[in-house]
Amino acid sequence: MELAVTTVVNGLILSSMYILAALGFAFLFNMLRILNFAHGAIYMIGGYICYLFIIGMGFNNWVALVLATLIVAAFGVFLERFCFRPFVGDFNRIVMICVAIIMILQTTVTIIIGDRRMALPPFAEGVLKAGPISVSYERIVTFTIGAVLLVVILWFVNRTKWGQQMQAIAQDRIGAALQGIDIHRISSIAFALGCALAAVAGCLMGAYLRLSPYMGDSMLVKVLIIVMLAGAGSLGGIFITGLILGTLYAALPVLLPGAPSDAVIIAVIVVLLLIRPMGFFGYEVEI
Amino acid sequence: MSTTNLQPSEPERSQRKWIKPAVLGGLVVILALLPVFISSPYMLHILILTFTYTIAAVSLRTIVTSGQFPLAHAAFMGIGAYLAGMASRSLNWSPWLTIPSAALVTMGIGMLTGYPFARLRALYYAMGSLFFGIGVVYIIQAGGAWTGGYSGLYGIQPMFGGSKMAYYYFFLGLALVSIIALYRFEFSRIGTNLKAIAQSHLVASSVGINEGWYRILAVGVGCFFAGLAGAGYAHYNMVLSPTSFNFMATLWLVMYVLIGGIGSIAGPIIGTFILILIPEYFRDLKIYSPFISAAILLIVVYLMPQGLVSLPQTVRSWYLKRRKGKGIAHAS
Repeated sequence: MELAVTTVVNGLILSSMYILAALGFAFLFNMLRILNFAHGAIYMIGGYICYLFIIGMGFNNWVALVLATLIVAAFGVFLERFCFRPFVGDFNRIVMICVAIIMILQTTVTIIIGDRRMALPPFAEGVLKAGPISVSYERIVTFTIGAVLLVVILWFVNRTKWGQQMQAIAQDRIGAALQGIDIHRISSIAFALGCALAAVAGCLMGAYLRLSPYMGDSMLVKVLIIVMLAGAGSLGGIFITGLILGTLYAALPVLLPGAPSDAVIIAVIVVLLLIRPMGFFGYEVEI
Repeated sequence: MSTTNLQPSEPERSQRKWIKPAVLGGLVVILALLPVFISSPYMLHILILTFTYTIAAVSLRTIVTSGQFPLAHAAFMGIGAYLAGMASRSLNWSPWLTIPSAALVTMGIGMLTGYPFARLRALYYAMGSLFFGIGVVYIIQAGGAWTGGYSGLYGIQPMFGGSKMAYYYFFLGLALVSIIALYRFEFSRIGTNLKAIAQSHLVASSVGINEGWYRILAVGVGCFFAGLAGAGYAHYNMVLSPTSFNFMATLWLVMYVLIGGIGSIAGPIIGTFILILIPEYFRDLKIYSPFISAAILLIVVYLMPQGLVSLPQTVRSWYLKRRKGKGIAHAS
């Protein structure tokens, strides 16, 4: 019984982590129809910039988080202007440029900081004990921020002018331009937001899992799973698929040891994708 | 394509027809004679790896000509490698038996798994194959005593008593045979059908081309050569690790193909050689060396979208534009 409760709690926590990391990627995929493979690297850079602010300059954790997010958002605008805007619609070149961005970011971090893993100081100390369960405040903070951001993004996309303009661009680029929507400006804003979300995830995750130049790689796979299962056109869907993935990752290692549980999870994902390739909450898109 | 009045006249063209085979023949001769001049075993090792990845890259491009973009190619190399390794270690088969058998079984696995994936299109096929490739690595890691799990598979038989020069000629020969086979495949009737499916699957179906069957066939052929490359690698390296066939390895194979150019067989060959040999030349930069590869990627992405294979065309159209003035329209 206690094991079941712990597993459920673990599942919720893992889900919130994956959803938080997936928010930026899903946002860009839904709004701009761009698969930002560099998302993992940007997530990683956000964590490292936060680390530099905290350890190097002694700022408070939260101040460092905000600063890192702003810097990465600016970087996102730069990326959009020079790396993604020229290649809209050309999947091959976007894959190439993303690999180049990943390599450059990872190499820069390795050169400046080095290859060993290091951790950010936690955002919240202490452990909450409720009955048989004990959860660190750190994870509760992550969970809360993830949930809040998801709600904020959903509100932004559906209720604000900018969000609606982004939806218009996603539906029909040329039609949106004919309506007078400034495609470049809205794309820049979208990219800034997407990268900012990645940075926030990186900072929070950097405190929980160690920082490493390659932390983005494994997270990118989980993010891809969540977003592909949810499908294009549904930001709220990643909530459900994130829950599914988090629960799988929490529950299966209890039944099977390490590597086979990974294999089973991927097998389940592949079967789900074969059943419904366009995702459970989305529609089919061409990119 | 350039405009008609810029084409050389007929007698000139047939005179120039012998240039291409001569250049290719010359390159093969140079590669065959290289070991005589290079004594460093490390250089030979790099070239052997280059030949192996060339086979995988060219077979990846073959699948791409049918309109599908698989992101699991390194995983199929891994399947071929582990099959050959396990057969060599546990069943004590000779390498000359394990390599073809592993390639055939990999082709079978590719076709079997290609069957459910054949109905996925474009992005969804790419994502599905991506997750499939990751799953293969997990399965290998979960293999326990059979595959050596995380720590890898040891004890695979070497060939030719471990002589690097013998390996070099073996892999050079293997690469040449594979490239010729895939070239003939591409320009055969089957290959033409594949290109038809890639251009418009609806029109192709209306002409009677069974799209599903041809897509599975393309994946099968591609996986055969991927398994071949992997099995050869297993007998060369004598040790296998699951992480050599993970998503990053697939991504690199994709880079070799895209950088070189999808348009022709020469594309992946050029891409593989450039992306392996140039960073090797700059190896002394140590941790800075990924910047070189990134620089190559950036140059090709921004300046040569069709890949390096289009370099002569790009240079020629730039030169003609400068000579004739900017008034001529080029469709290249």
